[in-house]
Amino acid sequence: MAAKKTLIAVGFEGSANKIGVGLVVLDGTILSNPRHTYITPSGHGFLPRETAHHHLRHLLPLLRSALSGAGITRADVDCLCYTKGPSIGAPLQVSAVAAVRALSQLWEKPIVAVNHCVAHIEMGRVVTGAEDPVVLCVSRGNTLISYSEGKYRIFGGTIDIAVGNCLDRFAGVFTLSNDPSPGYNIEQVCSLYFCFKNARCVIHVERIIHVYLICNLGFSMLKIVVTYYRVKGSAIILCTYDLPTVKGVKFMDLPYVVKGMNVSFSGILSYIEATAVEKLKNNECTPADLCYSVQETVCAMLVEIIERAMAHCDKKDVLIVGGVGCNDRLQELMRVMCSERGGKLFATDDRYCIDNGAMIAYTGLLAFAHGMTTPLEESTFTQRVANFKEKLTLKEEQYRHHNPCLEAPISHQSVIYIASLAFAQMLLYCYHGDMWYPYSLTNIN
Amino acid sequence: MDPMASDAGFDVGDRLPASSGWEFVCDFEVDYGSEEHAKIVYATLTVDKELQPDKVKRQMSISDGKLKVHFEAVEARFLRASFSAFVDLMILTTQIIEEYN
Repeated sequence: MAAKKTLIAVGFEGSANKIGVGLVVLDGTILSNPRHTYITPSGHGFLPRETAHHHLRHLLPLLRSALSGAGITRADVDCLCYTKGPSIGAPLQVSAVAAVRALSQLWEKPIVAVNHCVAHIEMGRVVTGAEDPVVLCVSRGNTLISYSEGKYRIFGGTIDIAVGNCLDRFAGVFTLSNDPSPGYNIEQVCSLYFCFKNARCVIHVERIIHVYLICNLGFSMLKIVVTYYRVKGSAIILCTYDLPTVKGVKFMDLPYVVKGMNVSFSGILSYIEATAVEKLKNNECTPADLCYSVQETVCAMLVEIIERAMAHCDKKDVLIVGGVGCNDRLQELMRVMCSERGGKLFATDDRYCIDNGAMIAYTGLLAFAHGMTTPLEESTFTQRVANFKEKLTLKEEQYRHHNPCLEAPISHQSVIYIASLAFAQMLLYCYHGDMWYPYSLTNIN
Repeated sequence: MDPMASDAGFDVGDRLPASSGWEFVCDFEVDYGSEEHAKIVYATLTVDKELQPDKVKRQMSISDGKLKVHFEAVEARFLRASFSAFVDLMILTTQIIEEYN
């Protein structure tokens, strides 16, 4: 076999309801990146055990399709990367750990453990080419802002639930479809309204039939949509007239909680679950009103703290990563804010924003290229990456937590710290060379 | 090689060494017919410790290409949960070996 030119990694991501296998080259080229999502019935979240079973079923078929899609064999693979955490235990264990451990022995390849949040950010950077942005990481489990200055630091985050979690549970109140994700469907309800309002309507109906129903469309219109959908599998509707059945959407005041650099989303959820449900019953508002108001409020809160972070560390660019980062409205608002500050927004589409195997493979490969691997016996998974805590004294940590922008490097290697407050977890990263790694991976004195 | 179809000798009982508290016991073995394969499964599954060691204990050993597993638990539900999670992963590991051996 010809000498290999470049390193290739396989990455396994299965920390939440998606299982993905990605093959990536060190320069960031993605050879293949299939994934499969566990879609729960409307109004339900995903349970660890059922999700684990979903991953068990799909792991091997995905690995097969990843290898054949990339056109390589196992001999070409240099390392096996998996998501160590933070996330839910059972799915992590299935998708990544058991598979990677077994494959590592069979293929005689090293293992690299990867932190989920780091992977999101690294992937975002390589895909967009953003050089030194303020990073907003928004997903079901995480909401945090960090910025880098030779090292990553946490600037703020949610003080209760993650934004994705808030949207999920909000969607659950209306039993919006979980396919492909609740947040996506909230966005569809909003854009649907605007489409009609502007009387120029382009709707892609592959997945939003359910949304249509709650939008209270005229029956004849709905029938056309559904028929077309059944025949074609998807439907794009163009209409040039305003539909009288759709009333104007109104913005409702929701709890807007920004505390310094932090945000809180639980108030919005409580409001929806209590007050808004009553209002709905009394026909004082529509689901479309609520979807619109929630999206506007949440996005505005995130834009506000990001802008503050940019002003503070004198950065112009923003990178949005994580599943909620696909939200067009969030990107739109952020883009406006960035352009007003003379900067640029870097965002990725759903191929990279949503959890995928390639981001794990790429981040793991960076570590591997720097000679970092995880021994089989240590290839554990963790729901919280709190065990990294022990490496710092509590005092230092608290100091860093409350004054992230004032922190000083602890030693010659910069210690980076990200708090994903959604899980009340603390993660530590080290900056070494040009890359940063979970603290446990680096045994540098 | 399919663990479910092997000569697994299940021995689940609620015998009564009541003083010890570890009343619920489950023993089974899977014949992989290969020392090497049994070792891979063992090494894969031994890394994750039982999450509640005060409620469930797990011991594994290998002999003659067979993986022997022994569970002890203080309550049947803990035994059930640990056992089924373990078997799920064991099946996946076995499938991986079958496919990529």
